[in-house]
Amino acid sequence: MENNAQAALSDGATGNGRFTALLNATGISPTGLTMIIILLVLPFIPPFNQEHILRWLVSAALLGAQAIAFDFTTGYINVVNFGFAAFLGVGAYTSGLLAVNLGLSPWVGIFVGAIPAALIGFLTGLLTLRLRGIFAAVMAWFVGLALLGLTRNLVDLTRGPMGLSTPTLLNTSSNRPYFYIILAMMLITYIVLRKIIGSRYGLAFRAIGQNMDAARASGINPTYYRVFNFTVQCLFAGWLGGFYAHYFGILTPQLMLTARTVEVLAIAYIGGRGSLWGGAAVAFPFIFLIEALRSNLTELPGLHLVIYGLLLVLVMIFYPGGFAAFYKRAVAWVKGLRDR
Amino acid sequence: MKDEALLKEPFPVVFRRWMTSAGGITILLTIVVAIIAAIDAGPFIIVNTVVTGGMWALLSLGLSLVFGVMNIPNFAHGEFFLIGSLTAYFTFNPLRLYLKENPSPFLSAIAPLLGIFLAFFVGALLGVILEKLIFSPLRKRSRDQWVMNSFLLTVGISVVIINSVQLTWGANFKGIPNYWNVDPLDFLGVNLSVDRLAAFLLAVVTLIVFWYFMRRTQTGRAVRAVAQDETGALMVGINLNYILSLTMALSAGLAAMAGASLLFIFPAYPTAGLKPLYVAWYVVILVGLGNVSAAVVGGFIVALLQTLTSFYVGTGWEDVIPTAVIIIMLIFKPSGLFGSEVKGIQER
Repeated sequence: MENNAQAALSDGATGNGRFTALLNATGISPTGLTMIIILLVLPFIPPFNQEHILRWLVSAALLGAQAIAFDFTTGYINVVNFGFAAFLGVGAYTSGLLAVNLGLSPWVGIFVGAIPAALIGFLTGLLTLRLRGIFAAVMAWFVGLALLGLTRNLVDLTRGPMGLSTPTLLNTSSNRPYFYIILAMMLITYIVLRKIIGSRYGLAFRAIGQNMDAARASGINPTYYRVFNFTVQCLFAGWLGGFYAHYFGILTPQLMLTARTVEVLAIAYIGGRGSLWGGAAVAFPFIFLIEALRSNLTELPGLHLVIYGLLLVLVMIFYPGGFAAFYKRAVAWVKGLRDR
Repeated sequence: MKDEALLKEPFPVVFRRWMTSAGGITILLTIVVAIIAAIDAGPFIIVNTVVTGGMWALLSLGLSLVFGVMNIPNFAHGEFFLIGSLTAYFTFNPLRLYLKENPSPFLSAIAPLLGIFLAFFVGALLGVILEKLIFSPLRKRSRDQWVMNSFLLTVGISVVIINSVQLTWGANFKGIPNYWNVDPLDFLGVNLSVDRLAAFLLAVVTLIVFWYFMRRTQTGRAVRAVAQDETGALMVGINLNYILSLTMALSAGLAAMAGASLLFIFPAYPTAGLKPLYVAWYVVILVGLGNVSAAVVGGFIVALLQTLTSFYVGTGWEDVIPTAVIIIMLIFKPSGLFGSEVKGIQER
């Protein structure tokens, strides 16, 4: 809806109907497009062209992509996948292990890794999504803990806490190409999920999220749509996990910790639930803020998590719309100024 | 009403019916398994199960209570456990050092209890603060999707507490060798330390007091009334805000007490609450969400399951096996072994 408003707003500026139609088809607003273009040139502008800042950009895009996938479930069908990091880990470990043991190319492995993640997600969803939402959250958490326990204990296969070194995607020490890859993955995640939200399925998701009884009365089978949604989310989590495996080059069970899920959850909520793009938008400033804090205050480990937690609580109580709602309000305010 | 119906029937009939229900079968099975394991591996299995089981029961009881009365799936429950063990550490440790200088048999007998009871009050205070500061504002703003929203709030609280503790006191382990420095007792050929015995006795006493409070006092009845029907409770003049604060305080206090009593097994460190938290959740999902009395039994069942897993399969697998059990549970009986007292387990 807000896309339409913004598209109408910018119609005069671009004056190109076909271009606007293309933007509408991908679900990216003109403002979003501007941000993407800025992100595309950012790695060449000092100080952003330094390697350590490029690393931050990569982590921010990875976190943003995760937040988009996370919001697809939380924001629409109102189910929290509390084992998100573990599903990401399944994708990462599958892809990594295939590359190490069978010599499968990481480029293929990234996509193969998404399959078991989606499968486990599908089974978890099938088991719990006919029950109340809290069962799915807690069960996904248990499954995540079990997966974490498995990766820790199956030392012969995963090398456990010692870490599994995986081949990287590219044969380069520069972070810049990786940034473009993850940016593309983030955009693909966004566009695909936005397409689903725009379809009949998205309508069903929103109906289920808002009022389950009314949705059922309109002939929607909630379990089917919820399981579908959950599986798609896990598919994307596994896919992004593949990138994680072949970017960092080392996998430890740490990556499946609940704290990782909380990070994604906090970003998705601060960004604004039900907006998809909100999480990606706040991920960049957030990662920069937190990395700056972390490098300047090394004697205070965990401070960034306190900030995450406090912001999550404050947003939940006082500003449930998050950044997306703030942005919408700001745009309306600017428009009001112009019309006056 | 349920109690009256039970009273009218002769006891053997009620007993036979109960023994063939899922709950009865489970309890019977648990006892049989425990006995077989004890014969096979040694009586220490039963001792370990009973000691940790009592504390898991206190924890799960609080979690179940808060879910039943306030509808909050508390993810910060483990942090109450952590706060309890921290309180006990900071009370008991100076006392222990002081006692080393000037020995006094009376004080050294009473010092641990001091720490444990203080932990209860600190935990309860934290519970009230959280209710007033966080849940009450959310309740006033909106009750839409309350369960999910409050769940996420507790996630935030948990993250804040864990990392604040780490920032304040660092990540090192704060433990004590023992509470009562006396020789272990010999029980069924097992060395049973006085600390473990005390932890178990404390759990039993607390459970009895809690049961009495919930069943026989006016306030306890009010708490149960709110759990059944909030609007109805308001109509008959129950002070809802008071009951909600009290529930939170009780739940947090019990968890803190469990943390304090187990300080000699689980030292206090920032993420110490994580394991108790998911044990409590295992229990609650296993026996049925919001079923307070069954949570007590569930505490012992899960403790047995863990003891058996770590003995027969190996340490590190305690998370994997109970998850498998819960998956089976959810396939066949999603309302839990003993049935849930919370309406609408199935998403209607």
